[in-house]
Amino acid sequence: MTSNPKNKSLGIFPKSWTVEHAGRVPGNIPIWVGILSELTEFGIFFAAYFIAKFYYPDIFSQGPQSLHTSLGVTNTIVLLASSYFMAKAMSFIRLNNKIKCERYLWFAFSCGCLYLVIKSWEFHWNSLQGLGPSTNEFFTVYYYMTFNHFIHVGWASCAILWVIFRLRSGAYSSKENSGLEALAVYWHMIDLMWILIFPLLYVLR
Amino acid sequence: MKKLGKLEYYLGTLIAITLFNTFLGEQFTSTTLVTILIALTVTYKGFIVIDHFMELKEANKNLRFLMRLYFIIFPSMIVISAFY
Repeated sequence: MTSNPKNKSLGIFPKSWTVEHAGRVPGNIPIWVGILSELTEFGIFFAAYFIAKFYYPDIFSQGPQSLHTSLGVTNTIVLLASSYFMAKAMSFIRLNNKIKCERYLWFAFSCGCLYLVIKSWEFHWNSLQGLGPSTNEFFTVYYYMTFNHFIHVGWASCAILWVIFRLRSGAYSSKENSGLEALAVYWHMIDLMWILIFPLLYVLR
Repeated sequence: MKKLGKLEYYLGTLIAITLFNTFLGEQFTSTTLVTILIALTVTYKGFIVIDHFMELKEANKNLRFLMRLYFIIFPSMIVISAFY
Protein backbone atom coordinates (compact mmCIF):
# COMPACT_ATOMS: atom_id res chain seq x y z
CA MET A 1 0.00 0.00 0.00
CA THR A 2 1.20 3.54 -0.60
CA SER A 3 2.33 5.42 2.49
CA ASN A 4 -0.30 7.64 4.01
CA PRO A 5 0.47 11.38 4.08
CA LYS A 6 -1.00 11.50 7.60
CA ASN A 7 1.94 9.40 8.80
CA LYS A 8 4.33 12.20 7.93
CA SER A 9 2.25 15.13 9.04
CA LEU A 10 2.47 14.92 12.83
CA GLY A 11 6.21 15.60 13.01
CA ILE A 12 6.39 14.79 16.72
CA PHE A 13 8.58 11.68 16.51
CA PRO A 14 12.37 11.37 16.30
CA LYS A 15 13.89 11.00 12.82
CA SER A 16 14.52 7.28 13.38
CA TRP A 17 10.73 6.83 13.61
CA THR A 18 9.96 8.43 10.27
CA VAL A 19 8.50 6.38 7.44
CA GLU A 20 11.74 6.80 5.47
CA HIS A 21 13.88 5.30 8.24
CA ALA A 22 11.64 2.79 10.01
CA GLY A 23 9.16 1.75 7.30
CA ARG A 24 5.50 2.53 6.70
CA VAL A 25 2.98 2.66 9.54
CA PRO A 26 0.02 0.33 8.85
CA GLY A 27 -3.24 2.29 9.14
CA ASN A 28 -2.33 5.67 10.61
CA ILE A 29 -0.43 7.12 13.57
CA PRO A 30 -3.52 7.96 15.72
CA ILE A 31 -4.66 4.31 15.70
CA TRP A 32 -1.19 3.24 16.87
CA VAL A 33 -1.35 5.75 19.72
CA GLY A 34 -4.63 4.04 20.64
CA ILE A 35 -3.17 0.55 20.24
CA LEU A 36 -0.12 1.30 22.39
CA SER A 37 -2.41 2.83 25.04
CA GLU A 38 -4.57 -0.30 25.02
CA LEU A 39 -1.48 -2.50 25.29
CA THR A 40 -0.42 -0.48 28.35
CA GLU A 41 -3.89 -0.89 29.86
CA PHE A 42 -3.88 -4.66 29.34
CA GLY A 43 -0.25 -4.77 30.51
CA ILE A 44 -1.42 -3.39 33.86
CA PHE A 45 -4.10 -6.12 34.01
CA PHE A 46 -1.49 -8.79 33.30
CA ALA A 47 0.83 -7.34 35.96
CA ALA A 48 -2.11 -7.40 38.42
CA TYR A 49 -2.71 -11.07 37.50
CA PHE A 50 0.90 -12.06 38.21
CA ILE A 51 1.02 -10.11 41.49
CA ALA A 52 -2.27 -11.67 42.66
CA LYS A 53 -1.07 -15.13 41.61
CA PHE A 54 2.10 -14.60 43.64
CA TYR A 55 0.06 -13.88 46.80
CA TYR A 56 -2.72 -16.46 46.19
CA PRO A 57 -1.09 -19.40 44.30
CA ASP A 58 -3.65 -21.99 45.48
CA ILE A 59 -6.68 -19.93 44.45
CA PHE A 60 -5.11 -19.26 41.02
CA SER A 61 -4.28 -22.94 40.63
CA GLN A 62 -7.89 -23.99 41.31
CA GLY A 63 -9.61 -21.08 39.51
CA PRO A 64 -9.28 -22.32 35.89
CA GLN A 65 -10.80 -25.69 36.88
CA SER A 66 -14.08 -23.92 37.71
CA LEU A 67 -14.30 -22.31 34.27
CA HIS A 68 -16.03 -23.69 31.16
CA THR A 69 -12.83 -24.42 29.18
CA SER A 70 -14.70 -25.42 25.97
CA LEU A 71 -16.25 -21.96 25.75
CA GLY A 72 -12.82 -20.37 26.20
CA VAL A 73 -11.33 -22.56 23.46
CA THR A 74 -14.25 -21.86 21.12
CA ASN A 75 -13.90 -18.11 21.65
CA THR A 76 -10.16 -18.33 20.94
CA ILE A 77 -10.82 -20.07 17.62
CA VAL A 78 -13.59 -17.58 16.77
CA LEU A 79 -11.25 -14.63 17.37
CA LEU A 80 -8.40 -16.25 15.39
CA ALA A 81 -10.83 -16.81 12.51
CA SER A 82 -11.98 -13.18 12.73
CA SER A 83 -8.35 -12.02 12.44
CA TYR A 84 -7.96 -14.23 9.36
CA PHE A 85 -11.13 -12.74 7.80
CA MET A 86 -9.87 -9.23 8.51
CA ALA A 87 -6.52 -10.02 6.85
CA LYS A 88 -8.41 -11.42 3.83
CA ALA A 89 -10.55 -8.24 3.66
CA MET A 90 -7.32 -6.20 3.53
CA SER A 91 -5.88 -8.37 0.78
CA PHE A 92 -9.05 -7.95 -1.33
CA ILE A 93 -9.25 -4.15 -0.98
CA ARG A 94 -5.66 -4.01 -2.26
CA LEU A 95 -6.91 -5.85 -5.35
CA ASN A 96 -9.77 -3.33 -5.53
CA ASN A 97 -12.22 -6.22 -5.09
CA LYS A 98 -14.74 -4.41 -2.90
CA ILE A 99 -17.37 -7.15 -3.02
CA LYS A 100 -15.06 -9.78 -1.55
CA CYS A 101 -13.60 -7.24 0.87
CA GLU A 102 -17.09 -6.49 2.20
CA ARG A 103 -17.91 -10.20 2.39
CA TYR A 104 -14.88 -10.86 4.60
CA LEU A 105 -15.68 -7.83 6.75
CA TRP A 106 -19.14 -9.32 7.37
CA PHE A 107 -17.48 -12.63 8.30
CA ALA A 108 -15.23 -10.79 10.79
CA PHE A 109 -18.25 -8.91 12.17
CA SER A 110 -20.13 -12.22 12.57
CA CYS A 111 -17.18 -13.66 14.49
CA GLY A 112 -17.18 -10.58 16.75
CA CYS A 113 -20.90 -11.07 17.47
CA LEU A 114 -20.43 -14.81 18.01
CA TYR A 115 -17.65 -14.07 20.49
CA LEU A 116 -19.94 -11.68 22.41
CA VAL A 117 -22.77 -14.26 22.50
CA ILE A 118 -20.45 -17.06 23.71
CA LYS A 119 -18.86 -14.78 26.32
CA SER A 120 -22.27 -13.65 27.58
CA TRP A 121 -23.32 -17.29 27.83
CA GLU A 122 -20.11 -18.04 29.76
CA PHE A 123 -20.80 -15.20 32.23
CA HIS A 124 -24.35 -16.57 32.65
CA TRP A 125 -23.02 -20.14 33.12
CA ASN A 126 -20.57 -18.85 35.75
CA SER A 127 -23.38 -17.16 37.67
CA LEU A 128 -25.42 -20.40 37.59
CA GLN A 129 -22.43 -22.09 39.26
CA GLY A 130 -22.43 -19.35 41.89
CA LEU A 131 -19.26 -17.76 40.52
CA GLY A 132 -18.96 -13.98 40.41
CA PRO A 133 -16.43 -11.15 40.61
CA SER A 134 -16.35 -11.35 44.41
CA THR A 135 -16.02 -15.16 44.65
CA ASN A 136 -12.26 -14.97 45.17
CA GLU A 137 -9.16 -13.14 43.91
CA PHE A 138 -8.94 -15.29 40.75
CA PHE A 139 -12.48 -14.43 39.70
CA THR A 140 -11.96 -10.73 40.46
CA VAL A 141 -9.03 -10.74 38.00
CA TYR A 142 -10.97 -12.98 35.57
CA TYR A 143 -13.98 -10.64 35.40
CA TYR A 144 -11.85 -7.49 35.30
CA MET A 145 -9.80 -8.84 32.38
CA THR A 146 -12.48 -10.63 30.36
CA PHE A 147 -15.21 -7.98 30.73
CA ASN A 148 -12.74 -5.32 29.60
CA HIS A 149 -11.82 -7.44 26.60
CA PHE A 150 -15.55 -8.04 25.95
CA ILE A 151 -16.12 -4.27 25.72
CA HIS A 152 -13.22 -3.92 23.29
CA VAL A 153 -14.65 -6.63 20.99
CA GLY A 154 -18.06 -4.91 21.23
CA TRP A 155 -16.94 -1.48 20.09
CA ALA A 156 -14.53 -2.86 17.48
CA SER A 157 -17.46 -4.86 16.01
CA CYS A 158 -19.41 -1.59 15.77
CA ALA A 159 -16.36 -0.10 14.02
CA ILE A 160 -16.51 -2.92 11.44
CA LEU A 161 -20.09 -1.84 10.63
CA TRP A 162 -18.88 1.74 10.19
CA VAL A 163 -16.05 0.58 7.88
CA ILE A 164 -18.53 -1.49 5.80
CA PHE A 165 -20.68 1.65 5.46
CA ARG A 166 -17.61 3.66 4.35
CA LEU A 167 -16.58 0.90 1.94
CA ARG A 168 -20.04 0.97 0.34
CA SER A 169 -19.88 4.74 0.02
CA GLY A 170 -16.64 4.40 -1.96
CA ALA A 171 -14.22 5.69 0.68
CA TYR A 172 -11.74 2.85 0.21
CA SER A 173 -9.91 1.61 -2.84
CA SER A 174 -6.69 -0.20 -3.72
CA LYS A 175 -4.88 3.15 -3.48
CA GLU A 176 -6.48 4.63 -0.34
CA ASN A 177 -7.47 2.23 2.41
CA SER A 178 -5.73 3.57 5.53
CA GLY A 179 -9.03 3.76 7.45
CA LEU A 180 -9.79 0.10 6.77
CA GLU A 181 -6.22 -0.88 7.63
CA ALA A 182 -6.42 1.10 10.90
CA LEU A 183 -9.45 -0.98 11.92
CA ALA A 184 -7.66 -4.18 10.83
CA VAL A 185 -4.60 -3.56 13.03
CA TYR A 186 -6.85 -2.59 15.97
CA TRP A 187 -8.84 -5.80 15.52
CA HIS A 188 -5.62 -7.86 15.44
CA MET A 189 -4.53 -6.14 18.66
CA ILE A 190 -7.74 -7.32 20.35
CA ASP A 191 -7.03 -10.84 19.11
CA LEU A 192 -3.47 -10.60 20.48
CA MET A 193 -4.76 -9.65 23.92
CA TRP A 194 -7.01 -12.73 23.96
CA ILE A 195 -4.01 -14.88 22.92
CA LEU A 196 -2.43 -13.81 26.25
CA ILE A 197 -5.61 -13.88 28.35
CA PHE A 198 -6.64 -17.40 27.30
CA PRO A 199 -3.65 -19.35 28.75
CA LEU A 200 -3.52 -17.17 31.88
CA LEU A 201 -7.15 -17.77 32.84
CA TYR A 202 -8.08 -21.11 31.26
CA VAL A 203 -4.94 -23.21 30.82
CA LEU A 204 -2.29 -22.51 33.46
CA ARG A 205 -2.97 -24.18 36.80
CA MET B 1 -9.01 -28.07 -5.45
CA LYS B 2 -7.98 -24.55 -4.49
CA LYS B 3 -4.47 -24.40 -3.04
CA LEU B 4 -4.20 -23.13 0.53
CA GLY B 5 -2.52 -19.76 0.86
CA LYS B 6 -0.15 -18.52 3.55
CA LEU B 7 -2.94 -16.98 5.63
CA GLU B 8 -4.84 -20.29 5.70
CA TYR B 9 -1.66 -22.09 6.78
CA TYR B 10 -1.08 -19.61 9.62
CA LEU B 11 -4.72 -19.85 10.76
CA GLY B 12 -4.43 -23.64 10.87
CA THR B 13 -1.20 -23.38 12.87
CA LEU B 14 -2.74 -20.95 15.37
CA ILE B 15 -5.77 -23.19 15.92
CA ALA B 16 -3.57 -26.30 16.29
CA ILE B 17 -1.40 -24.55 18.91
CA THR B 18 -4.51 -23.41 20.81
CA LEU B 19 -5.86 -26.96 20.94
CA PHE B 20 -2.43 -28.32 21.91
CA ASN B 21 -2.14 -25.79 24.78
CA THR B 22 -5.62 -26.70 26.00
CA PHE B 23 -4.71 -30.39 25.88
CA LEU B 24 -1.57 -29.70 27.94
CA GLY B 25 -3.54 -27.70 30.50
CA GLU B 26 -6.31 -30.30 30.81
CA GLN B 27 -4.22 -33.49 30.82
CA PHE B 28 -1.16 -32.49 32.81
CA THR B 29 -0.70 -30.75 36.12
CA SER B 30 1.13 -27.50 35.53
CA THR B 31 4.72 -28.57 35.85
CA THR B 32 7.48 -26.10 35.05
CA LEU B 33 8.05 -27.82 31.71
CA VAL B 34 4.39 -27.54 30.68
CA THR B 35 4.32 -23.87 31.72
CA ILE B 36 7.47 -23.10 29.70
CA LEU B 37 6.02 -24.93 26.69
CA ILE B 38 2.78 -22.94 26.90
CA ALA B 39 4.71 -19.65 27.28
CA LEU B 40 6.81 -20.44 24.19
CA THR B 41 3.75 -21.29 22.10
CA VAL B 42 2.01 -18.08 23.23
CA THR B 43 5.05 -16.11 22.03
CA TYR B 44 5.00 -17.96 18.71
CA LYS B 45 1.26 -17.31 18.26
CA GLY B 46 1.79 -13.62 19.00
CA PHE B 47 4.63 -13.41 16.48
CA ILE B 48 2.49 -15.03 13.75
CA VAL B 49 -0.34 -12.51 14.26
CA ILE B 50 2.08 -9.55 14.48
CA ASP B 51 4.10 -10.50 11.40
CA HIS B 52 1.52 -12.02 9.07
CA PHE B 53 -1.95 -10.76 10.07
CA MET B 54 -0.92 -7.26 11.23
CA GLU B 55 1.70 -7.34 8.45
CA LEU B 56 4.34 -5.63 10.58
CA LYS B 57 7.07 -7.87 9.14
CA GLU B 58 7.24 -5.68 6.05
CA ALA B 59 6.25 -2.46 7.83
CA ASN B 60 7.53 -0.18 10.59
CA LYS B 61 10.41 -1.92 12.38
CA ASN B 62 9.95 0.06 15.63
CA LEU B 63 6.28 -0.88 15.94
CA ARG B 64 7.18 -4.48 15.15
CA PHE B 65 9.89 -4.41 17.83
CA LEU B 66 7.47 -3.03 20.45
CA MET B 67 4.76 -5.56 19.61
CA ARG B 68 7.18 -8.49 19.66
CA LEU B 69 8.74 -7.23 22.90
CA TYR B 70 5.26 -7.38 24.50
CA PHE B 71 5.06 -11.04 23.51
CA ILE B 72 8.45 -11.71 25.05
CA ILE B 73 7.88 -9.85 28.35
CA PHE B 74 4.52 -11.38 29.35
CA PRO B 75 5.26 -14.99 28.34
CA SER B 76 8.53 -14.59 30.32
CA MET B 77 6.40 -13.62 33.31
CA ILE B 78 4.40 -16.83 32.75
CA VAL B 79 7.67 -18.77 33.03
CA ILE B 80 8.68 -16.85 36.17
CA SER B 81 5.26 -17.55 37.72
CA ALA B 82 5.96 -21.29 37.39
CA PHE B 83 8.58 -20.90 40.11
CA TYR B 84 6.23 -19.23 42.66
